[in-house]
Amino acid sequence: MPAKRTRPISAAQQLTGYGILTVLGLIVVWLLVQQSHLNPAVTALQTPRPAGSAKAGPDAAPQAAALVPAVAGFTPLGPVQSFGPENLSDKIDGKAELYLSAGFQTLAVQSFTLAQPAGAYLEVFLYDMGGPQNAYAVFSSQRRPGAVGLSFRPNAYATSNALFFTAGNFYVEMILDRAVPDVAAVLEPFTTALLTKLPATEEGSNLAALWPREGLVADSVRLQAADAFGLAGFNNVYTAEYLVAGGRATAFLALRSAPAEAVAEARRFQEFLRDNGFRAVQDPTIPAAVTILALEDFYEAIVVVDQTLAGVHEAPSLAAALELAKKLQEALASNR
Amino acid sequence: MPAATAPPSQGDGLTRRDFLRRLGYAAAVTVAAGGLGWWRHDASGPQVQTPKKVLSGLGDFSLPHPRGEAGRMAVVEGLDRAQTVARGLEALGGMGAFIQAGDRVLIKVNAAFATPPALGATTHPELLAAVARLCFQAGAAQVLVTDNPINDPLTCFRISGLEGAAKQAGAQLILPRPALFQPVSLPDGRLLQQWPTLAGVLAGVTKVILLSPVKDHQRAGASMTLKNIYGFLGGRRNIFHQDINGIITELALLLKPTLCFLDGTVAMVTNGPTGGSLSDLKETGVMVIATDPVAADAMGVEILGRRLEEIPYIRLAAAAGAGLADYARLKPVFLRAN
Repeated sequence: MPAKRTRPISAAQQLTGYGILTVLGLIVVWLLVQQSHLNPAVTALQTPRPAGSAKAGPDAAPQAAALVPAVAGFTPLGPVQSFGPENLSDKIDGKAELYLSAGFQTLAVQSFTLAQPAGAYLEVFLYDMGGPQNAYAVFSSQRRPGAVGLSFRPNAYATSNALFFTAGNFYVEMILDRAVPDVAAVLEPFTTALLTKLPATEEGSNLAALWPREGLVADSVRLQAADAFGLAGFNNVYTAEYLVAGGRATAFLALRSAPAEAVAEARRFQEFLRDNGFRAVQDPTIPAAVTILALEDFYEAIVVVDQTLAGVHEAPSLAAALELAKKLQEALASNR
Repeated sequence: MPAATAPPSQGDGLTRRDFLRRLGYAAAVTVAAGGLGWWRHDASGPQVQTPKKVLSGLGDFSLPHPRGEAGRMAVVEGLDRAQTVARGLEALGGMGAFIQAGDRVLIKVNAAFATPPALGATTHPELLAAVARLCFQAGAAQVLVTDNPINDPLTCFRISGLEGAAKQAGAQLILPRPALFQPVSLPDGRLLQQWPTLAGVLAGVTKVILLSPVKDHQRAGASMTLKNIYGFLGGRRNIFHQDINGIITELALLLKPTLCFLDGTVAMVTNGPTGGSLSDLKETGVMVIATDPVAADAMGVEILGRRLEEIPYIRLAAAAGAGLADYARLKPVFLRAN
């Protein structure tokens, strides 16, 4: 039977042991701290991936390339380039954040020279946004004021040199290097061929039925995918511009999955406004269901109808905010 | 009869077997720890092609100001770039006030995107042609043109028209390549530490001119003179978008140019920095020529129809000592081209 240790461990030995363990623990902590502070130069010195190489998943590049059609009169100037979330900024730089925050999946890009107009340069951007509302978000947030709406798609418009539209999950930009009298007609062969290749899915909606008609500025509906009004996490918020007494105001609608969620978000938005200097307004004309906050000459109205958070942003007067909020409530109630 | 020898462990309670067992455990742990460390160890470290000296900046190419002057600026109205450039330089003493015979001039353009010049996303080739010619007329021995674009460099220079303009003016185009990059650590810089920059293009250069378009920018609010310096950065520089105002402030300290041309002839007033629609552009008809890049951008804010508060990096750069946000202190000369 092995003999057991009979001599007790001395205090010096114990202290030494604890000291060694403490030093080891400090080394571990130091290592963890160092590892958490990544030196950007470490990644900077890695060989950058060439522009156009796919980083969006194993099958993204072939899928994206396959969707760009070959059309007579549109001569490719190079192969299709594909980009994923990790290298989208390699193509569109600072604009990448807009797409990434809206669910961007892949981008396929190709340039062409046209037969008509002779020598015109065309660049086609095909963004797979992963869902029709995501595609609508980037489409609506970049909509050019005063652009001509087109009827070939529910969400489409043209400017003097470019075509912008959604097709299900996809957001498409077709950009010429010059103005032409009828850009939709010039690009029609390519557009038709492209649409036959894109999968048929539902289109993103601008919630047309929910917006009060009176005072609505045409084509002003936007979907803010993320951080609406500067509030982090205030996502998927529709906005629309209205002409009101004294100027303009922005109405907003945020559809949530349950009434409790809408109420919680309304509370969060109120806190955000108070943190930014807004103060609650008490007035006998304000209905019980409506919360009004004001900062200098700007009024915010917040109301919850079922599972929809609605309201008015930057109204020029209390009366304008209340009137628009009332119209929103009525529109929501009539669409139950 | 000798007394039986006591077992060896009886004095301290440790048998030979215990000792060997403990020794074995300790050895196994040591080997395992050492093996783990050997497996995780990266002996080569981040790959660099050759060990390079770390620079503390890209250089100060600014000219001393006459006593009592904070700098020089001309603001010229007009739609012909060659005319506005000539008129503005005339008011500032001519190109000869900045470029002397024998100078080796580097012109840093914004060739970030492979887009045609009509879309306003890059330096306009007419501006490059005008400035390069004037440099040669002033006696420059050599004029170099460069940028490290976001897209493929040759495609960007070609489609933007800048390659053709450089060649026509007799300037030499320098495309980025790995050997031209060198690490830079900005003193007191929080972001630019050992960051690869296109420092090699500055070898032997005596003057630096920045040619920048006036553009809206999704992240920064505006892309103008200071943002143009971003084109000297290499590596995965897109990570700096998370602190866009911070990086532009550091860029302002990275390089002091001789002269800046901020082209507001046609400004991209919305949907920047890429634009795409001609409706994103506005014929603002202004050319800004300045020795102070911060002041040039402060004027550019007005061309965009914004307030200085909406473009935070300008005040930050001024506070860091890179220039003046109050461009009025340069006593700008306001002119019409004709």
